[in-house]
Amino acid sequence: MSESLLQFEIHPSSGVPIYRQVMDQVRALVASGRLRPGDLLPSIRQLAADLEVNMMTISKAYARLDADGVLERVRGTGMRVRASGAPASLADRQKEIAPEVEAMITRAAQLNLTEKQLLTVIRSVLQERRAWLKRSSTSAT
Amino acid sequence: MAEAIIDIRDLSKSYGAKRVLQDVNLRVPRGAVVGLMGTNGAGKSTLIKCLLGLLHADGGRADMFGFDCWDLPPAAKERLGYVPQVVYLYGWMKVRHVIAYTASFYAHWDHAWAEELAARWHVPLDDRVQTLSTGQLQTVALVLALAHRPELLVLDEPVASLDPIARRDFLRSLLDLAEDQSRTVLFSTHISSDLERVATHVAILLDGRIAYYSPLDDLKDRVKRLRLWSEADLPGHFAVPGALRTKVVGKSALAAVPNVTQELVDDLRKRWHAEVRVEDLNLEEIFVELNTHA
Repeated sequence: MSESLLQFEIHPSSGVPIYRQVMDQVRALVASGRLRPGDLLPSIRQLAADLEVNMMTISKAYARLDADGVLERVRGTGMRVRASGAPASLADRQKEIAPEVEAMITRAAQLNLTEKQLLTVIRSVLQERRAWLKRSSTSAT
Repeated sequence: MAEAIIDIRDLSKSYGAKRVLQDVNLRVPRGAVVGLMGTNGAGKSTLIKCLLGLLHADGGRADMFGFDCWDLPPAAKERLGYVPQVVYLYGWMKVRHVIAYTASFYAHWDHAWAEELAARWHVPLDDRVQTLSTGQLQTVALVLALAHRPELLVLDEPVASLDPIARRDFLRSLLDLAEDQSRTVLFSTHISSDLERVATHVAILLDGRIAYYSPLDDLKDRVKRLRLWSEADLPGHFAVPGALRTKVVGKSALAAVPNVTQELVDDLRKRWHAEVRVEDLNLEEIFVELNTHA
């Protein structure tokens, strides 16, 4: 069960430390529902071997996710996704996405897009995504 | 902090009038995998040779396993593996005999592992040393350095002459070795991408001094590039506090900052009515920024 069916993708030469790449990806997997509450993650040893990175890197990522309430440590079993957990506050989650939004706004300015035009793009992408999720959930059942 | 396997304090070394190392301090805890980076001539090999007791330092001291490096007892040497930048082995010997010969010096030689490593790197066991390519020689040296499962492995540009496949295999072996976290590795390189997967710490040698030494993650978390667009032209004396380098062109500026904080960014935004973007830097970019500054 805990093989890397989770398909992490690591870019060692990115400016983002590897442990943070792992954290971001676990968060994304949880957010998208591909990892469900109670699901086990690969062991530190396994994931480090699969990704060919130092074990301390994975151990650090898991420890932080534990502290952040995303994962929990189960004695003798490993790490699993926290059941209901205490999800981060709305303010925290909004703060988390601010840098990406900022980058997007900069890019929009370079492209000479007005605020209204940018919001139109965001809305249409969100709509597409909703439609896609709906399609994939009906085809799965 | 865990027990120090390597402890270098205020180490200095000159060759005649030429000062190569100046007050170098480096403390390597057990289990760390330290990448020692530096441009050609920065002093990497000299530092490693002082550490191994192959060169006598002019000042300061270097300890390994708690012993003075200049006077390492044989029992401490048994716990050490070393791969030099240039490998010297008897040319007339067959590789298999070199391995057997070296094994005889060690009480805890792991013959099975030596064979496994040799197979992994396609070491030509029945060839004579003098017929080997530089890369092949390096793989032989790696087998010799690893087969007694040393607690501390010191490598001077270990992968410089390996092809990409062998290099990847070598890095994987380093990870295997570091896996139980009781082994410590120090390796010098100027290939930053090799470091990024395996290193826990990075030490950057610049003009004979350690310019930067920290966990790799901290380095990436802290050293950033700021891109700044102001509403008005920036003055010629514009500088970001603490920046390694600031480049100003009209209304925009680019700065590499070793310790970026949110306060700094907010401050710049307010003070210069500027838009500020924080960009992540990878190890190579950080290395170049640090060296450009010098």
